[in-house]
Amino acid sequence: MLKKKLLRTALRYKSQFISMIIMIALGIGVFVGFNMEWVSIEENTDYVFEKTGFADFRLVSENGFSKEDFDSIMAISGVKDATRYISINTTVKDDTDVIALTVSENISVSGFMLIGEGKEYDNDSKDEIWLSDQYAEKNNIKVGDKITLTYKNIEFQASVAGLIKSSEYLICLPDPTLLMPDYNSYGFAYISPEAFKEAMGMEFYTQINVLSDMDKEDFSKAADKALSKTTLVLSKDDTVSYSEAMGEVNEGKTMGSILPVLFIAIAVLTMVTTMHRITSNEKTQIGTLKSLGFRDRKILVHYSSYAFSIGIIGTILGIGIGYGLAYYIMNPYGAMGTYIDMPTWNLYMPSFCIIVIVLVNLFLTFIGFLSVKKMLHGTAAEALRPYVPSKMKRILLERTKLWNRLGFGTKWNMRDIIRHKARTGMTLFGIIGCAILIVGGLGMQDTMNYFVDVFYNKAINYQTRINISEQATNEQALEIAKQYNGDYSSTVSIDIAGDPVSLEIYNIEHDRVRIIGEDMGFVTLNDNEAYISKRIADDNGIKQNDLFTFSPYGSDEEYTVKIAGISRSMTESVVMSESYAKKLGIDYKIIVVYTNDTDIKSDENIANTQTKQAIIDSFDVFMELMTTMVFLLVIAAIILGVVVLYNLGIMNYIERYRELATLKVVGFRDKKIGGLLIMENLYLAFAGIIVGIPLGLWVLDYLIGALASEYEMVSCVTITTYIISIVLTVGVSLFVSLIISKKNKKIDMVEALKATE
Amino acid sequence: MNIAEFKNVSKIYTSGDHTLKALDNVDFELENGKFIVVLGPSGAGKSTLLNMIGGLDIPTSGTIIINGKDISKLSNDELADYRAKTVGFVFQSYNLIPTLTVYENVELVSDIVDNALSSEEMLEQVGLKDHMKNFPSELSGGEQQRVSIARALAKNPEILLCDEPTGALDSQTGIVILRLLQKMAKDYGKTIIIVTHNQNISKMADVVVRVKNGKIQSIEKQAEPLSVDEIDW
Repeated sequence: MLKKKLLRTALRYKSQFISMIIMIALGIGVFVGFNMEWVSIEENTDYVFEKTGFADFRLVSENGFSKEDFDSIMAISGVKDATRYISINTTVKDDTDVIALTVSENISVSGFMLIGEGKEYDNDSKDEIWLSDQYAEKNNIKVGDKITLTYKNIEFQASVAGLIKSSEYLICLPDPTLLMPDYNSYGFAYISPEAFKEAMGMEFYTQINVLSDMDKEDFSKAADKALSKTTLVLSKDDTVSYSEAMGEVNEGKTMGSILPVLFIAIAVLTMVTTMHRITSNEKTQIGTLKSLGFRDRKILVHYSSYAFSIGIIGTILGIGIGYGLAYYIMNPYGAMGTYIDMPTWNLYMPSFCIIVIVLVNLFLTFIGFLSVKKMLHGTAAEALRPYVPSKMKRILLERTKLWNRLGFGTKWNMRDIIRHKARTGMTLFGIIGCAILIVGGLGMQDTMNYFVDVFYNKAINYQTRINISEQATNEQALEIAKQYNGDYSSTVSIDIAGDPVSLEIYNIEHDRVRIIGEDMGFVTLNDNEAYISKRIADDNGIKQNDLFTFSPYGSDEEYTVKIAGISRSMTESVVMSESYAKKLGIDYKIIVVYTNDTDIKSDENIANTQTKQAIIDSFDVFMELMTTMVFLLVIAAIILGVVVLYNLGIMNYIERYRELATLKVVGFRDKKIGGLLIMENLYLAFAGIIVGIPLGLWVLDYLIGALASEYEMVSCVTITTYIISIVLTVGVSLFVSLIISKKNKKIDMVEALKATE
Repeated sequence: MNIAEFKNVSKIYTSGDHTLKALDNVDFELENGKFIVVLGPSGAGKSTLLNMIGGLDIPTSGTIIINGKDISKLSNDELADYRAKTVGFVFQSYNLIPTLTVYENVELVSDIVDNALSSEEMLEQVGLKDHMKNFPSELSGGEQQRVSIARALAKNPEILLCDEPTGALDSQTGIVILRLLQKMAKDYGKTIIIVTHNQNISKMADVVVRVKNGKIQSIEKQAEPLSVDEIDW
């Protein structure tokens, strides 16, 4: 029989029950979704890293490594396996597409895996190539097709033996300044060492890739000793594939911890207030059951089971939402699919999620248990007495003169706000949450727009970027710069506290490239100071006017420079002018020319060119992803606001039903009563916004710090975002209040004011 | 002049197949400025009658004219305005707003009525001047009922409607309330309609209306009504 009561009560409090279920479902959904996302990225990338022998360390030397060098490295105890390796950018013949042509002597390190049909890798094959399946698909290339690549003056023709994926190209970017892969114009391929040797006419490997569990410092020392010279060592963290994949994992961790906490906290608070309401409303029923002879335990179980069933239904829906969300982000055709090139896209449910879900459910049930426990105190007769709400207390404001000037409606609302602290707190919580999500979401987009505007639209002031061939001399490069009225730059790898950093040397006469300063404005390079990017400065405690010393890789020279200030850059870098570099006597080689000319004639000293448009296009997908994310956040904010406020509004309405009926009898019009209810919500909405917007800005800063530190961004919030946030939050509050105030018309005055015993 | 005229008024409540005739073709007139008691057993339709006069409910058929105005076909808002200006209600269960003080409970009517009487004066009249700053929950039942009378009168209405005003009070407190009602009616010249099942109260009425089974049984004028203190409670 109690089961029937359970169902009927659930029907009676349906709006509360539904809103709690929605909150729990959203909380658990977001929690499960983002945590599944990052765990699944970790599992799936682990699989491809493992399967294709992703290297732990890369030794890099532009002069190449000999067979003897390789043997010395293999001899280091702690090195499990290694390979000589090279990746060069080749151009597809009669096309502008670039293919990173890769050779790994020992394919079990830095290798690849075959996708679909095709021939297994053959170390001796001479005229076969294994091509990125993504590039093949975008360019409509099939197994057996012929492809011709050019490098300098060398042409290499091969037939496609198989379509592959490789962890070395997990995130396939031609240049670290680009945000998203573009398989239409950039891909990768493997050929055998034999084929490479034949095409080049010699053996040449610029890297030794190593599998080892050693830590970087130990390995670095051991390698230097083995090769008897200092060599640049890159760890996994220094590779785009690994660091970006881990970046995605961390993003998921952040998203999976902030948002769900907000939703679950709101679900729990809603549960506390609602269960308290239900049990206090049913106090006499509880007394009746008690006097009928039901044991306390049975009554406790009955009321706890409300909370329990709400939790379970919410959890089931939540897990469904979580899977949906995880799949939405984590599928080969979805957002992540355009970014990470993984062979498997399995979804994994992390075990800690299950533990958290169980704990949340236990906690919810416990809340139900506690609220009825309170009502069960004492004898059946005591339990039968109706619940008496807390006595009215005077509030501080009443002692001031201002109080007497307030209209009755304001007084009524103020007292109500003070009296029902839990309800007020919950309402504020809901509005604050709503404001945080909207400010955070829209602020994120503002920040990204600002970032793109400064880093790309403004800092890139050239139309074409000309990449100079490796064999070209500085004189030849200068010739090209002069020919196209261009600025030029060079990059030198330097060592700062054991980390590889790039030293960027610019000659800027035509304002084609701009250096971004700490305040996101542009700075001018001078002849006796250098700029240092924010991350390096922060990591090493370097400030303006400090002196700091570095040494280029493969050189024993040390240079001490004075820091002019902090710069913001996509790469960790030290930036200086060409004249300062000359003054210091640093060796450099010009590698890029920036020009406004779009008509670049082919030249043996030009490797390839990139247009500004192509660079900007590459982050369209990225921005699209961002917009989807922001849209989801704003929708979540609105759902949160509407559900929480509606639930509380209904509660307020039920609790004040009698008062509202009295006002009606006295002669207040429906609209006037509605106006009073709306005013109360508006007070709370404004209070919530005043707290919510600064909190939203704080969360935004945190998110940008956590999600995008590699872009060295500064959060930026536009006036429009403030306005939209306020309008949406107030709008949600108004919308809900209007719906609820419409109910005034249905108040049955006669029924409501009947005598109660 | 008549304060209230009922012409063929019926009120039928339907729920599902079940219909209940609360008022069955009722026809009567009530004179202005009188102390009127509506008497009848529970379920007779006397509260329905009171609710009709008070504009809380509209008849299923028929016409109700209060103070020369037909109120049987008013809109919701017009009814609210009618309640604000023409009638004052006193209920068995007081129905004060618990979050407002005694003073504020009375003062709230000035939000809707232009010619409201001074709240302080009304509270002084009902003997609660010293409790103005208290909340209803800090008062006894009798005191709370006095607040509700002050609130009803502060609107300066034409008619004061009381539904079992002493129903929730002990007899001593009930007498105090009735005495107050009688005094206020006299001092302010209002028509008072009290609905009750208590025969004794009818002894103080100018007019006694007896209701049974949704019909008016009799309307009886008493030439010499007793004062509260003359009645043997």
